[in-house]
Amino acid sequence: MSTKDDELLKELALEEYKYGFTTDIEMDIAPKGLTEDTVRLISAKKNEPEWLLEWRLKALRHFLQMDMPTWQNFEHPDVDFQDISYYAAPKAKPQLNSMDEVDPELISTFEKLGIPLNEQKVLAGVVAVDAVFDSVSVKTTFREKLKEQGVIFSSFGEAVQEHPELVRQYLGSVVPQTDNIYAALNSAVFSDGSFVYIPKGVHCPMELSTYFRINAENTGQFERTLIIADEGAYVSYLEGCTAPMRDENQLHAAVVELVALKDAEIKYSTVQNWYPGDKDGKGGIYNFVTKRGICKGDNSKISWTQVETGSAITWKYPGVILKGDHSVGEFYSVALTRNKQLADTGTKMIHLGKNTRSKIVSKGISAGVSHNSYRGLVKIGPGAENSRNFTQCDSLLIGDRCGAHTFPYIENRNKTATLEHEATTSKIGEDQLFYLTQRGIDPEKAVGLIVNGYAKEVLNQLPMEFAVEAQKLLAISLEGSVG
Amino acid sequence: MPKERPEHQIKIMITQVSDSLYSQLIKTYGENLPSAEPRSLDEIRKQAFERFKRVGFPTVKHEDWKYTNVQPLVNQHYELDVEPSFAAIDLNNAGIPRLDAYRVVLVDGKYHAGLSDDVSDVPGLSIMPIDQAFERLCFAKYFAQFADKTDNPFVALNTAAFTSGLFIEVGKNTQLSKPVHIIHVSAARQPVFNQVRNLYVMSAFAEAEIVESFITDDAAERNLNNLVTEIMVREQAKLQHYYLQTATSQSSYLNHTEIYQEKHSLYNNYNCTFPGPAFVRNNINVRLGDSEVESHLYGITLTAGNQLVDNHTIVDHLKPHCESYEWYKNITQDTSTAVFNGKIFVRTDAQKTNAFQQNNNMLIGEKSAVYTKPQLEIFADDVKCSHGCTIGQFDNDALFYLQARGISEAQARILLVHAFAFDVTSRFANATVREYVEHLVEEGL
Repeated sequence: MSTKDDELLKELALEEYKYGFTTDIEMDIAPKGLTEDTVRLISAKKNEPEWLLEWRLKALRHFLQMDMPTWQNFEHPDVDFQDISYYAAPKAKPQLNSMDEVDPELISTFEKLGIPLNEQKVLAGVVAVDAVFDSVSVKTTFREKLKEQGVIFSSFGEAVQEHPELVRQYLGSVVPQTDNIYAALNSAVFSDGSFVYIPKGVHCPMELSTYFRINAENTGQFERTLIIADEGAYVSYLEGCTAPMRDENQLHAAVVELVALKDAEIKYSTVQNWYPGDKDGKGGIYNFVTKRGICKGDNSKISWTQVETGSAITWKYPGVILKGDHSVGEFYSVALTRNKQLADTGTKMIHLGKNTRSKIVSKGISAGVSHNSYRGLVKIGPGAENSRNFTQCDSLLIGDRCGAHTFPYIENRNKTATLEHEATTSKIGEDQLFYLTQRGIDPEKAVGLIVNGYAKEVLNQLPMEFAVEAQKLLAISLEGSVG
Repeated sequence: MPKERPEHQIKIMITQVSDSLYSQLIKTYGENLPSAEPRSLDEIRKQAFERFKRVGFPTVKHEDWKYTNVQPLVNQHYELDVEPSFAAIDLNNAGIPRLDAYRVVLVDGKYHAGLSDDVSDVPGLSIMPIDQAFERLCFAKYFAQFADKTDNPFVALNTAAFTSGLFIEVGKNTQLSKPVHIIHVSAARQPVFNQVRNLYVMSAFAEAEIVESFITDDAAERNLNNLVTEIMVREQAKLQHYYLQTATSQSSYLNHTEIYQEKHSLYNNYNCTFPGPAFVRNNINVRLGDSEVESHLYGITLTAGNQLVDNHTIVDHLKPHCESYEWYKNITQDTSTAVFNGKIFVRTDAQKTNAFQQNNNMLIGEKSAVYTKPQLEIFADDVKCSHGCTIGQFDNDALFYLQARGISEAQARILLVHAFAFDVTSRFANATVREYVEHLVEEGL
């Protein structure tokens, strides 16, 4: 590597995290520690019905009995579950009905993040936003407009109050409390999140979006998202996340459940930009998330798209259970790690129904001394006649001290299934770089171009507005990297 | 908080087989090999047994044994170290037509001088039972130096308690004109657990072909064979190594092969498993220990009945400028299961590595299953690594095409499987072995 490249790599390492500010706001924080009382406290704060408290306590009991897994491709950090506060909310206020009642400090926080909470300010009203600040949802926009179509888009807490029958029916139906240790933890202590219900035959008129922000210190964020698309419905949903720069690590253990009934389609996109820690690996978010969708009805479709650039450790496998016949699961991912970031991410496609199809496109980019792993499971059950899977996972290495790892699990128990898997690992082609620089494009821009081209297949899956955002995010994260 | 196996479970497993194994070990140390073994070997055995005792036999909770349950196998009763009956061993099943080779016969792991060719007059080639090689310089240098670094509990058990095996050394600059054909026969008339340990040393500039056949004698009782083979391929040496697994359902195998390669060396492994043995687990690990090393691993697995064949391979690029190429094909029929786990490691600074891995599967059996995990772990950036994996079945268009031209369905299927296997069989360096394998593929359908 030339000196010029080294300098650029250095710059890359020092690239600042621009969402690292903190908001000074009066908070209501639960004392540290995790006991049954903590769970009861959260449940009481949210004024929850008895069955939900029981459900939480059951999860807690499971959690306390579970061991930390050891199969992951990174050293699991010691997380002291008793040293975390499980509930943090901006000081309670009565039900918010208009913008004027939202704390101006919060509005300005979300404005700094580029998330307008003021409906009038949103251009043409194409995106409805649920803003989650630490443990609670502060504002959901465009609720009235969505209501006209029968679409329910609210915070999880409100959904428990207003639509308990829906919540009760679907909560934990895709990710059971016992699924894994962090899902159990989330089930016990989740504080808020988003709830979406699209009624039969409704094509949701706008993009729905949740914006997660961790602000308080020494807290974990445990939100829960539940999206139900009834027969023939369609919804596109996007989540974004940021956190302040802090020296200690913070835990984010969310659960997302998607349910697609007959002929329904859910498109779920994530642009994950939690604070990744500084260049020495100090601080940053542990992003341990369980995301799973079920294509319950025939001809349903669930598509995950994720752009992962943040978090000290990212550990998640958004998956799809293809239960309905002719259902389709898709997974598109770009994961970029740099400095000392670690990512162990991928997907699980469980084929149960006949003629089910799944497609996986995963693009990993590692720079600095980071490690990026793809871990995927494609499972074809004995009854999944004529099912089809295509998997492509590519890794790009920038610098000679990073790592790229691939762990695909392919399990087939049906003789009519067809599966393909391919993976490549390489660095940015010198000839490609040469071609571009020779035409007067400086090396930095050339790398950006090549990486964007490399990730294009995934970025194309994002809704328009966010594709632009994600492209910028990749460019910033990559600034000055030449391999 | 790593998940420990509950204490009582370990105890149960050890009482089932290794309790008697343990007493057998004491006997081995106390009576059988008191003075023949050098002190250092005693120590190695002792340590290995400690290692084995710590972990016990693996369960499916262990990532490396996720799809391969050895518990039913190790929970049965076996005799340890029976004296083989050399009478009436029928070698016809291992005969490779027209193969002109130095024949070596191991009956339940023990060298059978009567059936083996005398190679004492072949310059540069020494073949002997492993217990006669303990005093050799290169035995001390290489024995238990490679395989025992892995965490396979069966290797530890083997090191601790192997009772037989083979030592081959091909001397410096020796190019063997004929292949060495090793025939492993399982013949014991009572249930037996064989522990066989082999060490092959290819000296600098040596070239050789080793063909290993596995067969079961018709009168044999059920047997479990735990084989460990360590192979040292020194500078500029070349070794072509064939495994032809044609035993019957009485036999089960745990076969661990550990290869270490030095500068400019070449190692090719051709691993073929056919319908027959109930359970086969192969571990083939190649360590590319110096620069400009080349390794090829080819595999053909054709399963039928209720067989389980599990091929685990590791290609470990430790140094820059090496090349590896791996291609495994599985064809599963009936209710059989094929497992493939291929790991490629490219260590830090192993720049300019070219590593290729492909695994193709044809799942034919109504209730058969394929579990595959092609895995890459890469710690260097200037490398070209790729892997591919497919699972499919007969192409109906192709079947129709052939049938429309008057070829019977059965014949068409054979043709298609033949074509499927061709990518691998065409790489065989030895034409005689290739023909034999192609014949076995046809027969196995």
